[in-house]
Amino acid sequence: MGIPVPTTLRIALLAGLLALVSNLVVIGFIYYRTHDEAVTTVHRQVAEQGKVLADVYRSGGQAALNDAIQDTINYADPQSAVGLLGPDGREVMGNLQSLPAFALREGYRRALIRLTGQTTPRQAALVVQRLPTGQWLVSGRIAGEGLAIRETLERSLLIALIVAGLLGLLSGLTTAHYVGRRINDIARVANRISARDLSQRVPVSRAGDAFDRLGSQINAMLDRISALMDELRLLTDSLAHDLRSPVSRLRSAAFAAAEESDPKEQEELLGSVIRQADALMRILTAVLEISRSEALTGREQFHWFDIGELAAELTEMYDPLAEEGGATLGYDRPARPVPLFGHRQLLAQAISNLVENAIRYGSEGGEIRVRVQPGERQIRVEIADRGPGIPADRRQEARRRFGRLDSSRSDEGAGLGLALAEAIAHLHEGELRLEDNRPGLRTVLELPVHSQQASAA
Amino acid sequence: MGRKILLIEDDRETAAYLAKGLNQEGHSVEQATNGQDGLFRATDGSFDLIILDRMLPVLDGLSVLKALRAARIDTPVLILSALASVGDRIEGLECGSDDYLVKPFSFAELLARVNALLRRRESRVDPTEHRLTVGDLEIDPLSRTVRRAGKKLELKPREYLLLEYFARNEGRVVTRTMLLEQVWDYHFDPGTNVIDVHVSRLRRKLDEGFEKPLLHTVRGAGYMLAA
Repeated sequence: MGIPVPTTLRIALLAGLLALVSNLVVIGFIYYRTHDEAVTTVHRQVAEQGKVLADVYRSGGQAALNDAIQDTINYADPQSAVGLLGPDGREVMGNLQSLPAFALREGYRRALIRLTGQTTPRQAALVVQRLPTGQWLVSGRIAGEGLAIRETLERSLLIALIVAGLLGLLSGLTTAHYVGRRINDIARVANRISARDLSQRVPVSRAGDAFDRLGSQINAMLDRISALMDELRLLTDSLAHDLRSPVSRLRSAAFAAAEESDPKEQEELLGSVIRQADALMRILTAVLEISRSEALTGREQFHWFDIGELAAELTEMYDPLAEEGGATLGYDRPARPVPLFGHRQLLAQAISNLVENAIRYGSEGGEIRVRVQPGERQIRVEIADRGPGIPADRRQEARRRFGRLDSSRSDEGAGLGLALAEAIAHLHEGELRLEDNRPGLRTVLELPVHSQQASAA
Repeated sequence: MGRKILLIEDDRETAAYLAKGLNQEGHSVEQATNGQDGLFRATDGSFDLIILDRMLPVLDGLSVLKALRAARIDTPVLILSALASVGDRIEGLECGSDDYLVKPFSFAELLARVNALLRRRESRVDPTEHRLTVGDLEIDPLSRTVRRAGKKLELKPREYLLLEYFARNEGRVVTRTMLLEQVWDYHFDPGTNVIDVHVSRLRRKLDEGFEKPLLHTVRGAGYMLAA
């Protein structure tokens, strides 16, 4: 269905041709090694002799032929065989002592015959011709045993050639059928998927061949697409749901501003309208940033920088904010610079999101510590607070987009901070971990040291 | 003092709104509605500033920018774009723009950036050579010392950078995003009032105990340092 016929045909022709060519090479080799000029010579001599006799008959009639036969018997070399048979097959004249009972038919043949004056029958190459009188003219030569073997061989080679041709065709058709069937299986699934049924999967046999690998790859791709589609659906659903409240807040603020007659009050309300709109924009930007990072866009902007220095800068930047929240923000500076190949701006955003989260939810615990730990294989950027933390069974929920655990604090953040930090970790082939700080929450960006160089190179 | 500004923007409504606002500020505005026309006008090099939309018909904004820079026209360029991601902003800046403003923006934000860019063009001097003064405030960029009414102020390094940036934009509105981008070099939008906290700390050190405040809050826009 989905496979255009010419492709199958091409495969069939190609496979058939290959089979034929390889057989031809073998047959040709055998022919080359066994072919003997003697056979050709015998054939030619026999044919010539028959032709001469036929010419004699045509020009001189029966009498001349009889003379020619007699001459042959008398003067030609002793290997010559000649005979004139009656329509019933009985010898009228000639030196054919015994003739095997072969059907009298015009043409070349090989037979075991005994000539007059000889004791054993021997292989001879003969030409049989039919005269207008109904008589049979048999002429030829004794050619020895080798001729028979060689002739059989050459005939066999000819048969082999025909069989090889047929086999080539057969193997071509079989291959084409097999390939076509396997491809059709895949094409059928692709067709159904085009018809919007993403649940279809390519059947995979246990053979583990290339088609199975292709099928498995396609299935894996479909699984990923399905997962992404589900995620996207979830995202758009939750986006539609979560934008509802800020949009309606924005709307009522705008409405109130329009209704307000006192200019000072109205200005206040318009300010709130702008703030709400800004918050909305922030949500949209964050969602966009998450999608881009998850799609691994932005690696072309990777470069080397000191992540220890970046974390120090950000800690310094957020220190006053933490202080206002009643916490101290400390930084454990690593002994040496910690070079990392990555997206400085996005990592800055990820770390600042995590620090903001710690300040927002963990300030009551007093101390927030930021730590950069260089390791053999990965760099850990830790942000640890002493706040209430997140119970183990709710951590998964917390990192989901819009997965804010405390829905009562609706005015602060959109619940995208952790999801964005995680997406940025993924962009760097790393992970975001939520760990128990006993007490408190420890969020960790785990960034591999090496793979980033490899993937960006 | 009025300046010549080239506005390359295909959205008529936005263009009209911006042109009107900039005219009211005393600038003369020439408009182009597609990239090719914009590039053509920009190549005469007589403009003090180019405001360039990123998504334009015929020739997109970044291509216009690259062509301009390739032709060694160094007129400051402010990019306007609905592409808000950090990667987009960095791409825009790396193509040779001097500033990048994400749509939607307030006119106050645009004006603050336009003024900052125009001022930068006007004072092409070694930033470390000049002693900056704002009223009774004196800043020495070489030694990074700050005095107010002769009294030395103890500032943290970042507070100093913040103040120096304010001083270099004396009398002009500076927005929070501009501070984040110029003083901290971050191009994302923090969800908190972290910048305000830094400004209010600086203000405490700068203005406390003095009768006349120097650091002012401009409602709905940002801050301004002025005597």
